[in-house]
Amino acid sequence: MPMLDRVFENSARSLARRTSRRSVLASLGRLLTGAALLPLLPIDRTARAQGAPGSGKSAVNDPQSCDYWKYCAIDGFLCACCGGTSNSCPPGTQPSPITWIGTCHNPGDGRDYIVSYNDCCGKVSCGDCFCNRNEREVPMYRLSRNNDVNWCMANSESDYHCSVSVLIGVAEPEKK
Amino acid sequence: MTGAAARLRRAAVLACLIAALPVTHLYAGPQQDYILYCMGCHGPQAEGVPGKVPPLAHSLGRFMRSPEGRNYVLRVPGAANSALSDAQLAEVLNWVAQKFDAAELARGAAPFTAEEVARLRHNPLTSVLATRSAVVRQLSSTGSAPPDQY
Repeated sequence: MPMLDRVFENSARSLARRTSRRSVLASLGRLLTGAALLPLLPIDRTARAQGAPGSGKSAVNDPQSCDYWKYCAIDGFLCACCGGTSNSCPPGTQPSPITWIGTCHNPGDGRDYIVSYNDCCGKVSCGDCFCNRNEREVPMYRLSRNNDVNWCMANSESDYHCSVSVLIGVAEPEKK
Repeated sequence: MTGAAARLRRAAVLACLIAALPVTHLYAGPQQDYILYCMGCHGPQAEGVPGKVPPLAHSLGRFMRSPEGRNYVLRVPGAANSALSDAQLAEVLNWVAQKFDAAELARGAAPFTAEEVARLRHNPLTSVLATRSAVVRQLSSTGSAPPDQY
């Protein structure tokens, strides 16, 4: 036991000879400054950003956000907020047999996808998650490319409830 | 089958058709043009909407049998006002007839050409219903005819 005491005493005295209170404070300061600067280093944080609520990046892949990439020309209430999903109608509603079909760009893979916007019909308007995006939409003179149309007009019950966005395929550039 | 049951059945069939559409790699051409410019109203199987949107399946090839039928098809609002070029419209109509009315086409109806489309489509019909009715009556006297209630 006395030997163990001597070893600890020697190492403590040796440390006290080599360091000072000032050097300890300086090291601590360096450590704190370094820790504060760590988030500024150029580290790829896109994966974490995608999961962060409310951030622009995550919204691109969130079916309950207007910024979801395949909602690029949606005008109405998102069925994903109304008891359905981004591509299926809520219970008690029927998909419209006629629809707006266009293309949306997926920033995830850089490709354009063909998207069918079907309205879900037969119940009063859902009222949740209203979105109005108009990429590649055209005015009323070309009805098939206009998203202000109530596509429930061809349903037996033409009440509009919400809209879905169904992926049909990958669009290829037109042949010239 | 009651009206409500028929509507439910149609909705179920439509939901299945849409859900069954695979996210496939398409190629620019008549199939993609059909999807982007025609399918929104005429449907994934060119079946139309009963009483609202005329079918192209089992119908378009029958119109192609007579000059009056061809004239009608190229002057209806969907063709006359289409954003497609004359050549694209000819190509997509031929693709639809081949895909959804092949048996009728096999009896010898000629495909549309871009020149024929250009000659006729720029003079849209003023009375679609009356013209269709007359054309369908004439076609039914020489074989199978499309439905006339549109």
